[in-house]
Amino acid sequence: MSASGFRISAGGRSALPVLALLLIGFAVPLATVIGFSLMPARTFGLSHPPTFENYISIYESTTYISLLWSLGLAAATVVILILISYPVAYGLVRVFGRWSTLITLLFVIPLFVSENVRLYGWLLFFIKNGVLLGTLKSLFGVEWDSILFTKGIVLFGMVYVHIPYMLFPLTLGISMVPEETREAAFDLGASRWQVFREVELPLSLPGLIIGCLLTFVLAVGAIAESKVLGGQVVIPIAHDIEIAFTYAQNWPLGAALSVLLMLIVGVLVLLALRRFDLDRFLGRR
Amino acid sequence: MVGRDGVILFLKGLTKTFAGRPAVDAVDLEILEGELFTIVGPSGSGKTTLLRMLAGMETPTAGDIVLRGERINDIPANRRPTCMVFQSLALFPHKEVGANIEFSMKIRGIDAATRKRRALELMKLLRLPEAYYGRAVTRISGGERQRVALARALAYEPEILFFDEPLSALDYKLRKTLEKELKDIHRETGKTFVYITHSLEEAMVMSDRIGVMRDGKLVQIGTPQEIYVAPNSKFVSEFIGDVNIFPVRVTGPGKLVSGEVPGEIAGPPVSDGLHEGYLVVRPEFLRFLAKPEDADNHVVGRVYNEYALGSRIQYHVRAGELTFVLEKLRHEAFEGSLDQEVTIGWDAANSIVVPDR
Amino acid sequence: MSGRAVRLRHALIVVWTIAMIIFVYLPSVSIALASLTSSRYFIFPITRWGLDWWRKTLDSLEIHRILETSIVIAAVVTVVAIVLAFFGALAFARYDWKGRAWYQKVILLPIFFPQSVLGLALLLWFNAMGLQLSWQTAVFAHLVWIVPVVTLVISIQVYSFDPALEEAAYDLGASRLQVLREITIPVLMPGIFSGGLFAFLLSWGNFPLSLFTTGADTTVPEYLYAKMVAGYTPGVPVLGTIATVGAIVVLIGGYLVMLLLNRRRQAGAEETNEGEDHAHVA
Repeated sequence: MSASGFRISAGGRSALPVLALLLIGFAVPLATVIGFSLMPARTFGLSHPPTFENYISIYESTTYISLLWSLGLAAATVVILILISYPVAYGLVRVFGRWSTLITLLFVIPLFVSENVRLYGWLLFFIKNGVLLGTLKSLFGVEWDSILFTKGIVLFGMVYVHIPYMLFPLTLGISMVPEETREAAFDLGASRWQVFREVELPLSLPGLIIGCLLTFVLAVGAIAESKVLGGQVVIPIAHDIEIAFTYAQNWPLGAALSVLLMLIVGVLVLLALRRFDLDRFLGRR
Repeated sequence: MVGRDGVILFLKGLTKTFAGRPAVDAVDLEILEGELFTIVGPSGSGKTTLLRMLAGMETPTAGDIVLRGERINDIPANRRPTCMVFQSLALFPHKEVGANIEFSMKIRGIDAATRKRRALELMKLLRLPEAYYGRAVTRISGGERQRVALARALAYEPEILFFDEPLSALDYKLRKTLEKELKDIHRETGKTFVYITHSLEEAMVMSDRIGVMRDGKLVQIGTPQEIYVAPNSKFVSEFIGDVNIFPVRVTGPGKLVSGEVPGEIAGPPVSDGLHEGYLVVRPEFLRFLAKPEDADNHVVGRVYNEYALGSRIQYHVRAGELTFVLEKLRHEAFEGSLDQEVTIGWDAANSIVVPDR
Repeated sequence: MSGRAVRLRHALIVVWTIAMIIFVYLPSVSIALASLTSSRYFIFPITRWGLDWWRKTLDSLEIHRILETSIVIAAVVTVVAIVLAFFGALAFARYDWKGRAWYQKVILLPIFFPQSVLGLALLLWFNAMGLQLSWQTAVFAHLVWIVPVVTLVISIQVYSFDPALEEAAYDLGASRLQVLREITIPVLMPGIFSGGLFAFLLSWGNFPLSLFTTGADTTVPEYLYAKMVAGYTPGVPVLGTIATVGAIVVLIGGYLVMLLLNRRRQAGAEETNEGEDHAHVA
């Protein structure tokens, strides 16, 4: 492909625009954030001598609790989503036949509607005199308390918003199990459960891993769910960062919180994607 | 005919319809214990569907599958005493060679030591090196993967082994070698093999008996010899490969006329009630004649081209609208040149008349 | 794999999936219902039905401006994303080059990243650089996340692209530019089209990035959010429904266009029937 001397190959040249964008729009801002995290609190430039005081203050104040809450909620979201999405993903690959495209479309549409709009619908559903409670009141005369503004409803919202991010990788993973390989396992005497354990689960693992990773990473940065449905009952880490950047005018603290989050996310992504053959996963035949 | 000696698998009226169309149309068949029976047919003839019904992957729409006198229609695949070697081989890519072979034993709860011993025995039978036991199945050759698939199926200790065109993805040389090896293994294990392929040549090499399938029906069943020498229809005749075939009418005992060949043709004995059909002459029965009287029938034409086929040479001779195909062994090669006018001919006893089916 | 157990399992899966679909669309239905009341407050069941708020919203100049902002951002993002991602996809799936494995992983990083944190990081960086926040900075922020996604979408199409097509064109004398114009782009058009669709819709519906990087300008999701937390306004369900229905219309419209293009392609390719094998018939 490339001739002698310093010539970039065709692939390298094609990649340049995207890489330039990511350099300026991703790498540099994140580096800036790291830089700011090492600046003294409540300063606004990068010219000061570096210090770890922000990280220490995170540990000493209770701010790290919201980090733990975000991580915990995200993990719970992942687990719940695996359980409720797996049947649908299985259906899309092996049960729905001609309907699969339509059903996939139905699950794709929510990706393109902003999450706060969708969550707002739940707000209207669960609020006092809303769809649920209003109907109960008018039909049965029952007056219940709204379940909004609880930690549970925040988790509910997170699960709801992230359905597509678990469903589609899971579907892709299950579709990677060749039908004949499943049949062979049956043919060799395996029961339904054994076929699942010995063949289907291991071979669909790449999809499962991607789904879990994507869902967790996105859920960890969730902010709309708690704002729309949860009031102030849970402050996720993203909200804390926002407060630090805006109301508290403490850029370095916000930056330090961001760096912690980036570290966790970065480690997970690196671990999971290290041995991933993207060509095989995405479609090279 | 339940329990008749020698019959291990008995199909009666076996049918499978998809969206109103029968893929397998009322098939009756008896498979004898210990034989290697091949079902041959073009793509779409229903042979794969038939096999999958026997293995338990598809449920029949109608008819019975009877194994050793017991009707097995409703027994699911994982409880039938049968095992299949798939077209894609369906090896478990995440397990090694040994684990693949041992799969059925692990499922049944057999202990690791016994499993390993049995796996190594089978690997030896199938000429797989012992070192392959722990190797990933993605790192062995195509022919070796075939053997692993076969070993895995044999480890299940089935009564019948089904083969779904396992060699069609391999290159020619490998296929030729494995065809013969499969036949050897059949002899060594003594089990019943039911094999499907679209290549009649492959079927001829391997089988004890062949069933030719077309549009969901079995049109002829017989030994390779019978199918070759006495095809029962135009379809089967042409399915075998290069053949000389043209329409004829029966004008009397041993007498035929054809629009394609001038004069009267001396023909073979024809079954009652067959008044018209096709005359079939195999390429090896056509000869170059020094004089027309040297054979029962003769035609004059020009040698158009010759094709070297390994130990034989095939000649195409054009006579009028027809092209005749002759085959000669190498040492009997035609001495003349292309475009030379020649007389070719055949004897009535070496021809056969088949109905237009 | 006994028939009855399998059928029961399949039936359960169908029922569960239908339940999930209802679950997914229930909030949108609630919003649509809420938009149809003519009263000032939301009380369910609705007693006073009416399209008053629809009229008020569609007439409002402020709403027009906000819709325009969202559309302009989405349009610009779509155009730029398609160009960048087209070449990015070629690098991802077509060419074998030295940094490819590394590049494939790098592309994924903005996707596997909490969006709100990305938005906040960009906010910090824009502020540190002294840049004024406006719809233009929002476009840039959207691109950082959307270009990788579109790259992946187009890459899926590129994987099945046969390089022999380009080689044949060169062989027949075409220049690089001509090959690109006559062969590469047309053949990849379905992927490019899907990618553009994704870019538009993802930008249109984006909340976390827009929230932090639009500054004084406002997109539809931002406006809705501000109104949501301020207290109930009946205009919100109306605009929310518009946003949702708009996305659905664009998506289904795009999908139908693709189906149509596909059908025309296939009709052109199906000119010849499969030849039958003839034995040597004399």
